[in-house]
Amino acid sequence: MVDQIPAVLVLAPLFGALLIGLIGHRDHRVCFPIALASLSVTFFGAIAAAQHVFTNGPMDYFVGGWEKPLGIGIHLRIDALNALLLIAIATVAVLVTFFSIRRVGEKNTEKTHYFYILFLLLCLGLFGITIAADAFNLFVLIEVSSLTSYGLIAMGSSRSGTYAAFNYVLMGTVGASFYLLGVGYLYLTTGSLNMQDIHTILGSNPEIAQSKAVTIAFIFILVGIWIKMAFFPLYGWLPNAYSYSPSSTACFLAPLMTKISVYVMIRVMISVFGLEWIFVSLGWSHLVVWLAVIAILAGSVLALAQREIKKMLCYLIVAEVGYMVGGAWLADEGLWGMTGALYHILADAAMTLCLFLAAGIFVKRFRAREISDLEGMFRKAPWVMAAFVIGALAMIGVPPTCGFFSKFYLIRGGLDAGHWEYVGALLISSLINAVLFFRIFEIAFFGNKPAEGHDHSHDPHETEELPVASNEAPPVWSGNLPLFATAVIIILLGIYNGPVVALIRTFLEELPIVASSL
Amino acid sequence: MLSKVFATIAVAITGSILLYGVSDFPAFGDPHSPANAGVPGSESVSLYFIEESYKDTKVPNIVTSVLADYRGYDTMFETVVIFAAGMAIFAILRVVGNKEETAAKAAEEDSFTNGDHNRIIVGTTVRIVVPVIQLFALYVVAHGHHSPGGGFQGGVILGASFIIIALAENLNAALRRLSELNYVRLAAIGIFIYAAFGIMAQVLGSNFLDYGALQPIFMTDGPEMARSHSMLGVEIGVAFTVTAIMFAIYANLASRGQLVKGL
Repeated sequence: MVDQIPAVLVLAPLFGALLIGLIGHRDHRVCFPIALASLSVTFFGAIAAAQHVFTNGPMDYFVGGWEKPLGIGIHLRIDALNALLLIAIATVAVLVTFFSIRRVGEKNTEKTHYFYILFLLLCLGLFGITIAADAFNLFVLIEVSSLTSYGLIAMGSSRSGTYAAFNYVLMGTVGASFYLLGVGYLYLTTGSLNMQDIHTILGSNPEIAQSKAVTIAFIFILVGIWIKMAFFPLYGWLPNAYSYSPSSTACFLAPLMTKISVYVMIRVMISVFGLEWIFVSLGWSHLVVWLAVIAILAGSVLALAQREIKKMLCYLIVAEVGYMVGGAWLADEGLWGMTGALYHILADAAMTLCLFLAAGIFVKRFRAREISDLEGMFRKAPWVMAAFVIGALAMIGVPPTCGFFSKFYLIRGGLDAGHWEYVGALLISSLINAVLFFRIFEIAFFGNKPAEGHDHSHDPHETEELPVASNEAPPVWSGNLPLFATAVIIILLGIYNGPVVALIRTFLEELPIVASSL
Repeated sequence: MLSKVFATIAVAITGSILLYGVSDFPAFGDPHSPANAGVPGSESVSLYFIEESYKDTKVPNIVTSVLADYRGYDTMFETVVIFAAGMAIFAILRVVGNKEETAAKAAEEDSFTNGDHNRIIVGTTVRIVVPVIQLFALYVVAHGHHSPGGGFQGGVILGASFIIIALAENLNAALRRLSELNYVRLAAIGIFIYAAFGIMAQVLGSNFLDYGALQPIFMTDGPEMARSHSMLGVEIGVAFTVTAIMFAIYANLASRGQLVKGL
């Protein structure tokens, strides 16, 4: 039974989506239980898979039983690199499902089932990307996740959301096509699509590995993924797409989409091309780390210039992507930068989810879109604000939150590799985050002007979703439950950073590049 | 204007990088290139397909056996991509309004019933042609594993037969035959059929989409014919989804999500 888990991980959300497609139009209230049930199956599947991986080693699954020769069928693989990520995706998905209850009470409920279908298909896409061990299969699932996310972003009633989604469609398509071009070049030179197979062929045939076509394949795959993850010069689509989309969409996309792309980059670097080839033969790691430094600084400074809460958080994501790309490319001997990047994927997913959930609650309950609208929030919603503070402290990097430890490992990697500019950028970005969030705390605690309190006299700028009739208003717990759960996860992930990092290291220490240095 | 200059520069750089790599490519049509014969020292996927696929599946069309069996997992998700595209379009475009009112308005403007003679000629022609189109579509689906064709192609043709009805008469005439409720259901059922073949294999103790395990269900001599039959089955599933989404996307785009009147 355990060996079927990789298939179950993608099949559960698929069947959830199909079931909603069949019966969801009748009564939108059936959507939520179906979505929750199918995501719970995946959640427990992910935990069982992780348990299996960390006790018995990697799980290989050959769809259709086509195992030999390697590459004729589709190969799925769960190993120590992606097992934790699977749990992270499943957790975020379940929590956002709770948060999405409030969306159901929208003006018209006739589209609710479309929202859940797209949401479940997006989860399916992310799970599929994570477990794929076939370069083309990865592309197919990138398509699934991109298409659904375009739809989810454009579903909001605001016009700017539709425009942002269109922008995202263009950029996302370019990114996916670049990835596909790279895979095409790779197939031309190696004759295989299976990641493991390509890795062996490149390792045993130096003349192929040194050819221009393989280098260009790597460039195109890398740039394609960078567009998807909004790495610095290519980040243009992200802020509008995430800040104008409906809250539950933003809460799901912001923590996961960019992080999954970072995972794909690391997976392609380690499992397809191999770190020796990238760090030793190509020798571009300095260039990429400098790009990451610019990304971190630019993201932080742009965040400082924002007045809307969600926009500010979006630019922080741009900076965080810089952290992870820089960490992955540090090329220090013990791969502590890579460790930090992988740990930061989990930590950043939790922090971003926490902040976006809080921002979503501010918009929905208090119609507070701008930072200045937050005044008096500590009095109006002390618990929500407390969770927001935990998320913010993690973003700044205060112990014992997980944000501190991921920065710790990243900085350790930066020091080992001698990339002082990267260490400096991390510290400056932490300082800017501190300025940003303490400004918000100050406004929320003391306010700008004498507190007038509860009036909602000023008109909301662009109402995303108005609360409907009070009997249809979503229960308060639907927002608070996931928010508090995330806040607890942030702290637990920080306190138990040792075991988590040890699990990540079990994978990295098996790589020849690290094993030789130990 | 400036953005166009930048775009041109970006396109020129991308194109020249791509062309730069071409010099390392194997010669065009070279039977010993990596993609055709594999890299020395490792087994070739292409040669395996050419030599073994008929023995494995008893399907003479190698493309179908690769698409629907060896890489069936990819094809299932390609179908999901189509389904997702349809759902995204409905989610964005569909305008939910007062149905009776719009339907009444549509009936009023129905030129076909009001004696528009041009439409009568076109409509009659279409009525004669549509069964032929649909029969051909079914042939393409059913014969996909022996000759060029398959679920995607057949589904597109079948979807086109509904679109041609909508063009010749009006959208309501086509929607009477395939209503909104039914096309969403049909699309979901298509993928459901596809996935069911995989799940059945799992139930019988094999991996997902291992059609060979379905041998006891199809009561064939060996796993090969079970694979062949299952491929036909999943092609039918693909055809369902493609038909429904093709027509549904047309209906939503042509009527701006109102689902009345159309072009």
